[in-house]
Amino acid sequence: MRTAARQVEHLAVEHLQGFVTALARAGVVPGVQKQVDFLRAVALLRPCSPSELYWAARVTLVRALEEVEAFDSVFAAWFGDGLVPLAPPVGRPAPRLTASRRGRVVASAEGDATGRRKDAGHEASVDEVRSSCAFPATSIARRRLLAEAEAALSEELPTERARRHRPARHGERLDLRRVLSAAGRSGGEVVRLQWRDRLLRPRRVLLLVDVSASLRQSSGDALRFAHALVRTVPRCEVYTFGTRLTRVTRQLAKRDVDAALDGLADVVLDVNGGTRIGRALEEFLADARHTAAARDALVLILSDGLERGDPGAMAAAVKRLARLSHRVVWWSPLACDVSYQPLTRGMAEVVGDLDDLVGVCDLASAVDAVRRLPAVEAGPRRSVPATRLTVDTK
Amino acid sequence: MVWLAVSMALYNCDHIASPMADDVPSPEQLREGLLRQRYFADDGIITAVYLALVLGRPLLVEGEPGVGKTELARSLAELLGRELVRLQCYEGLDAAQALYEWNYPRQLLSVRAGDQVGNLYADEFLLERPLLRAVRSGDRAVLLIDEVDRSDSEFEAFLLEFLDAFQITIPERGTVRADKPPLVIVTSNRTRELHDAFKRRCMYHWIPFPEPEREREIIRAHAPGVDEAAARALVEAVMAVRSLRLVKRPGTAETIDWARGVSALVQQGHAWPDALRRSLGLLLKEQDDVETAVAEIQVLRIAPGGRL
Repeated sequence: MRTAARQVEHLAVEHLQGFVTALARAGVVPGVQKQVDFLRAVALLRPCSPSELYWAARVTLVRALEEVEAFDSVFAAWFGDGLVPLAPPVGRPAPRLTASRRGRVVASAEGDATGRRKDAGHEASVDEVRSSCAFPATSIARRRLLAEAEAALSEELPTERARRHRPARHGERLDLRRVLSAAGRSGGEVVRLQWRDRLLRPRRVLLLVDVSASLRQSSGDALRFAHALVRTVPRCEVYTFGTRLTRVTRQLAKRDVDAALDGLADVVLDVNGGTRIGRALEEFLADARHTAAARDALVLILSDGLERGDPGAMAAAVKRLARLSHRVVWWSPLACDVSYQPLTRGMAEVVGDLDDLVGVCDLASAVDAVRRLPAVEAGPRRSVPATRLTVDTK
Repeated sequence: MVWLAVSMALYNCDHIASPMADDVPSPEQLREGLLRQRYFADDGIITAVYLALVLGRPLLVEGEPGVGKTELARSLAELLGRELVRLQCYEGLDAAQALYEWNYPRQLLSVRAGDQVGNLYADEFLLERPLLRAVRSGDRAVLLIDEVDRSDSEFEAFLLEFLDAFQITIPERGTVRADKPPLVIVTSNRTRELHDAFKRRCMYHWIPFPEPEREREIIRAHAPGVDEAAARALVEAVMAVRSLRLVKRPGTAETIDWARGVSALVQQGHAWPDALRRSLGLLLKEQDDVETAVAEIQVLRIAPGGRL
């Protein structure tokens, strides 16, 4: 009798262990501590319906919302038949049927709550031309320009005051801790005041790089500039977009520019494809984590603004971006031509929300554009039409 | 190895249950207690809270703004009869604001009065900040670390250390440790990805938007003037609004505000659809969203001033 019970227990434990192993294979890798928590939870709750087991497992094993989907499918595979391989302890009532249904309803409602974002990127794949990027090695002349760009960035980028108070020679707050310890040494007499202040730091920068076919000429240099940016500015994010949106900050954080560009080939799959700027920006704005990168940031958009999709979507997205950010500057290769006018439907609608529209087609013009940033910073917001008009009247 | 050790104890497990398990309410008691606080929790929340209490781990709660993350901590404190200690996170929050601070002006006065230096670090000069307060109160407190995604990663790393041991070292005084850990609820709006090490130490729960049935109960409980039919109509409208592409989808908190607003307008003699339309600003806080909702949703399309 006793040994039979032991055997059942052993099987149950093996089943649970198999479940956790399957989770790890599906990408939800719980650490040892989490596994212990899970087992203790099972021991404490003694779940006798799939719903109870579901929540005990999910609360202890899952670490983030992204893992829930994978977790759900593994759970369904292991316990979906409604059989919990744990014998209910004596004296517990039989599992309620409604309990399991309720648990599943909660789980599926959740899928809806986040489903919108998840499927947003997949629709594009129909007419998407997938090709990875391969860029020629960076020449010595270009490397020199990149060094110049890094110098320009560290000098010209707008700054803001940091949130933390640090010890400083002069400041807005007395550093009482230091004043007091000095006073303790001089018998309670305050001889000199010590200060704390909020130091200046470079403002956050968000760079959005268009990598679609129409920019084939300049996207190599654009990404090289992005590499210089990531190396210089501590708080910056870089995304590429064409038919989809890709975060590339991490890939660009390598020391050597060519190594960084090689690393991009694995993640940026829409190089030289079509352009759906509006859709990519909408995708960007739909996620709170992305918008946090734009909030109070200097936003640089490197694109020709030739939208194949709905220009209204692009205009609405740029409008929102302008409200979120500190400044929005559009760098367009087309604007290198002195006679360029933002007349395409997309650009005409967008231009009123921009703080500057500059021609950038290679690294040299990018350096010049960086040198212009202090002027943009000093001027009023949404001032592009004026500057464009002055070019016009010449 | 872990599996072997724990599986040995799995079913005859009285001794692996935490020593606190005695005074922790059962899941059913939690559910009823929260209901009395007018908090309508689903199975997931109940399980998460119960396990956080029994296993003594922090509970990381994520969800869209306005689904009741902060409210959960408040209701739990009320229900368990514990003090709610709240630490609101923001960028630049540092240890001095979260742990403790010395009362420097008083210390200075005391030095000038010729006191011994050792006395300068007595209790009377110590200003408690939320984390120290929570550690000192131990299991008499619910510690709410609100919107942890707003703090910077420096502070998050610091928090990690704190949550591991529930102890604070004051160089002048020594180490303060909680005998029994407080119940810790950490909330996040997911504007920033938290470090993996942080998530590993927490129980995790994502609070979704409530199902229609539950949201009706919530409205009935928090907006007394609204009857069942009205609550049904409101929730239907809210569900329709949430399915749109919006800048900010309304949470339960906004739904409650809207229900209250509508019921106040109806009492003033406004017709029902008119009241819905007029108080829409309580539900949606972006002009673009209001325009989208009015264009897409039938109930909201009646022009202001129109009556049934």
